[in-house]
Amino acid sequence: MKLTIASPRLGKVGDEFIPVEGTNVDALIDGGLVVSTTEPKKSSKVKSEPIEE
Amino acid sequence: MATSTLLSNPTVTVNSVDLTDQCTAAVFTRVIEQLESTAFGQTNRSYVGGLENSTLTLTLYNSFAASETYATLKALVGTQVNVTAKPSSAAVAVTNPLSTLTGAYLSTLPIINSQLGSLETIDIVFTGGSYTVTTTP
Repeated sequence: MKLTIASPRLGKVGDEFIPVEGTNVDALIDGGLVVSTTEPKKSSKVKSEPIEE
Repeated sequence: MATSTLLSNPTVTVNSVDLTDQCTAAVFTRVIEQLESTAFGQTNRSYVGGLENSTLTLTLYNSFAASETYATLKALVGTQVNVTAKPSSAAVAVTNPLSTLTGAYLSTLPIINSQLGSLETIDIVFTGGSYTVTTTP
């Protein structure tokens, strides 16, 4: 999970937010001060069934 | 005799959020509870230090706008949080020490404190936690 600053009260908007130990990240997200972006998971490869003749 | 003029302009953060521009008063008090150790035969009371129970009291404008006071505090009541304060906005130094309470507890959060004809403010108190002071940037 990547956190991005959404308020200048935390730093430069758009920069990654790296919380110090003890920071209540849920409260920051709840207040709209940071946004959480989950990087998309790489889709698993689906093997197609072999064509039977 | 006063040796310097100090314009009161501390910097305060709550849960890493800089609330300085919403703050009109900040009182950071270091408290070590006193335990009485007076015994028979003594003619005066005596005390020893107990647990630390320091506090940070803030007076804040109660703004409900995005990223402001209410948004910052609403999820913190009833939880432990890190709070900091330093005398001025200048860099941390021996002459501008940064005081921190790590894991201070916020027990109450006034939601509305309105009076006709005045800006709404709230007083909040962070209690307990581990006190540290930093004098290097």
